[in-house]
Amino acid sequence: MWHIAKRELYDNLNSLRFALATVLLLGLMLTNAAVYLHEHPKRIQKYNASINEALTGVTTRAESLYTLAQEGPGLLYKKPSTLRFCAEGGEPFLPNVVGGTFLWSSSGGLKGFWRLNYPSTSPNLTDIRPNVTKVDWAFIIGYVLSLIAILFTFDAVSGERERGTLRLMLANPIPRHTVLIGKLLGALISVSIPFALAVLMNLLVISTSSTVQLGADAWGRLGIIFFIALLYASLFLALGLLVSARVSRSAVSLVILLLIWVTFVVFVPSTLASIAGGFSSPMSTDELWQRRGELYAKRWERYDAYFAERVERSKEIQFKGEHVIAEAEEQERVNEEHLAQQIAQVKFARGTTRVSPIAISQHLFESFAGTGFERHLQFLENARTHARQFRKFIADTDSGDPESSHIIGIREGMSEKPVNPAAVPKFEDMLNLSRDFNAALMDLLLLVLLFVVLLSGAYLAFVRVEV
Amino acid sequence: MMTLIRRELLDNLMTFRFAAATFIMLLLVVANTFVLIIDYERRLASHNDAVKMHQRQLQEKITYSAGEVRVDRPPNPLSIFNVGFDKRLGNEVRISHRVVPSLWDAGMHGSDNPFMDMFASMDIVFIFEVILSLFALIFAYNAFAGEYESGTLRLVLTHPIGRGKILVAKYMSAMLCLIVPLLISLLLSIILLTTSTAISLNSDDFLRIGGIILTSVAYLSVFYLIGLLISAATRRTSTALMLSMFIWGFLVLVYPNMILTVVPRPESPDALRTSAFNQIENIWETFDKERKHYLATDDFPGEDWGYELRGLGSRGANLMGNSQRLLYTYRSVMNFEGFGEKDEPKMPHAQKHFGFLGAQTIDAADRTWLIRKPALEEIFIQRADIERIYLKLSPVGLYDAATQAWAGTDLLGVRDFFHAARQYRQSVINYFYDNKVFESRQWFAGDKGEADWSGLPQFSFQRDDINTNAKRAIPDVCLLLMINVVLFIVIFLIFIKTEV
Repeated sequence: MWHIAKRELYDNLNSLRFALATVLLLGLMLTNAAVYLHEHPKRIQKYNASINEALTGVTTRAESLYTLAQEGPGLLYKKPSTLRFCAEGGEPFLPNVVGGTFLWSSSGGLKGFWRLNYPSTSPNLTDIRPNVTKVDWAFIIGYVLSLIAILFTFDAVSGERERGTLRLMLANPIPRHTVLIGKLLGALISVSIPFALAVLMNLLVISTSSTVQLGADAWGRLGIIFFIALLYASLFLALGLLVSARVSRSAVSLVILLLIWVTFVVFVPSTLASIAGGFSSPMSTDELWQRRGELYAKRWERYDAYFAERVERSKEIQFKGEHVIAEAEEQERVNEEHLAQQIAQVKFARGTTRVSPIAISQHLFESFAGTGFERHLQFLENARTHARQFRKFIADTDSGDPESSHIIGIREGMSEKPVNPAAVPKFEDMLNLSRDFNAALMDLLLLVLLFVVLLSGAYLAFVRVEV
Repeated sequence: MMTLIRRELLDNLMTFRFAAATFIMLLLVVANTFVLIIDYERRLASHNDAVKMHQRQLQEKITYSAGEVRVDRPPNPLSIFNVGFDKRLGNEVRISHRVVPSLWDAGMHGSDNPFMDMFASMDIVFIFEVILSLFALIFAYNAFAGEYESGTLRLVLTHPIGRGKILVAKYMSAMLCLIVPLLISLLLSIILLTTSTAISLNSDDFLRIGGIILTSVAYLSVFYLIGLLISAATRRTSTALMLSMFIWGFLVLVYPNMILTVVPRPESPDALRTSAFNQIENIWETFDKERKHYLATDDFPGEDWGYELRGLGSRGANLMGNSQRLLYTYRSVMNFEGFGEKDEPKMPHAQKHFGFLGAQTIDAADRTWLIRKPALEEIFIQRADIERIYLKLSPVGLYDAATQAWAGTDLLGVRDFFHAARQYRQSVINYFYDNKVFESRQWFAGDKGEADWSGLPQFSFQRDDINTNAKRAIPDVCLLLMINVVLFIVIFLIFIKTEV
């Protein structure tokens, strides 16, 4: 078997396609590294600046517990991932911030309380630059490496049959599955040599730069991504072997493979996503505004009805506080509902695209690189946790003040003492590795399953080859 | 000559690749047309909803100063062919006398889920971009190399036929074969388009589609000639095939995505932005000074712009700016339903003031636009245009640009809408002047007769006629054709010198 693999390898090493693949992959990976080194420090700088701005905001608001509670902890920013060069993951289309709003209500002189609010427009509405995909690892592996894998195996069996060497090889006392595995291994090694070289160059450039530090965790993730890439490439190698064994002429085999490749890699993901997106229609932004307005009006109607008759002072404050809090909670719930519907639509669309191996691999790269949609969901979860912590902090601090009447939501009912800004919980956007693994496991299994199916298909086809 | 073409044609037609090409093109184009039509219908419905909603919201406003006229950009039916900027850029503009609207002030309705933008959007031209080029190369790689290897080339050349004729015959027959699936799939998608009730295509639209088909053929021919060139130069099928595939991967997959990250982005002209914004701020500061001067010197004591009017309703005023988009404006809104008795004597003063303020605001807004327009052009448009030129260095970029221009979904096509919106703003202002709206009581109060929105001029946006599209598309189409001619000449020279 090793003998066959070695023979395949030598064959490939001397070929034109090997040279071309090396050049192409190297060029792409170096570009990727250069672009990343150019962009990432800026991203980090911007993130730090925004974080500091948010902290300054908290410090100014901390002069009074009421102001802090009413105006909230400021904007919550998403931490950019160090491994963004592996998978862009549609980050430009995802908001990198969760806002919070509070409002000055004109009637009654009550200030609305802080509530979580999610940005609703895509951030690039005025972007008139040409629309292009980013050249990240996910692109290089998903499109280019898979194409190279096909070009390496389309003639693996049919080419040998055409030349007559297949007969020669099978005349030796080697079982056919050994031949097949040998061929697969040979092709895999010859594909991974240029790929590994390109990856090494990419990482070399990135790690020698002083601006970016890759920790042990990041290297681990990169290792996983590399192995997923190899698995993904072997998927296409197995497909190549399968078609090549079934078809007698290598030209025909290539045409079939290219068609399969184009359909599944280029077209299926976006077509399926738009079909799947059409099944559900989430609450539109106009509807959201309408519902918010209705709830707001209803809440104020209740308020006006309550104060239609005279109420004693202590109860008045109590009611006003409850009114403000309930208003904020209601609005936040509608915001959540709106977001949940949008997320459900995207999740369904993403699930449907799993028909295509490139979508599976892209999801995997995203979850290990800490970018993309799943990561965004984690960020939203972090923001929610932070909101809970923040509210708990307000309640705790308030109950610690003996002068306060502990009615949260209104100035008269709350502590107005200055708060130590350092004690206010800080938002920290963390990446949770174990969650990534759980999310990725399903995709990984799918990829392995697909590989096994294709390999056994190739085996069956090869066993039945008549020489 | 005819014999040659017939022979080549039969050779090509009977192959597996021809059947595969036709099948896959039909499958992809028809399936995607379905999806795209549904998507278009959805966008059209949300456009109609938005128009209705904006109408309703306008009618609800009882004073002119509170009213916000909004116009909506309808989706372009030809975005099915090339979506371009049709979905990406803002589609709702606020028409106000306070600011001259531009592309950068637009909002977005109908994109109900911004997360869905993560998925790449498809159109028919994208399918052709990928598939046509691939098939052209698959058809071409063994045109010479194959015949050379099998020895039939020598046989053909023994006949007293010029080599040029052989070349032309090969080219013609292969192109015929490649155009068949292209035309059939386009025909099917046009039939599908006409069956949809939401889409109405006029004769200009069919001409535009004709332009797209023409460009597609030119694009197809470029890739076929690239394949022929490789085939003639390498003389071995396996080498030709490998080279073709890698060149395809480079031109179609790698180059369009990589080039913009490789070329250095021109630095954002911050100095220009700051200086333009300062000028604009100056205009509005002068405006504010004049406004205050008027208030201080008019017959009414005090400097309150609202003339201390008390009543049922709301009022608000602010200067607001956005230095990124060079937006700056003064907004004052009064929305009163009724006043007390003692407010009546103030009314004439207030009316006169708002009459003065209206004219001043329009003047300041127009002067702002004179500065803002060239600045926006330089900050945003020129930089994007430079990047577009880099993309056009590959036939894929040229094809994309030309079909966008035909479909009217390119940047210029979308900007036409904003041009129309600016003209509409002028007609709204004229209407306001003609009816003395600024000086009217309805400008700020709805107690004695509410604002009458029914007489407002209607906005309608007609896409420019085919001439404009042609003017924008022809340069790129010509470039494509030129590439064709150059490639053909090079192949001819190589073929002439080939020794068999």
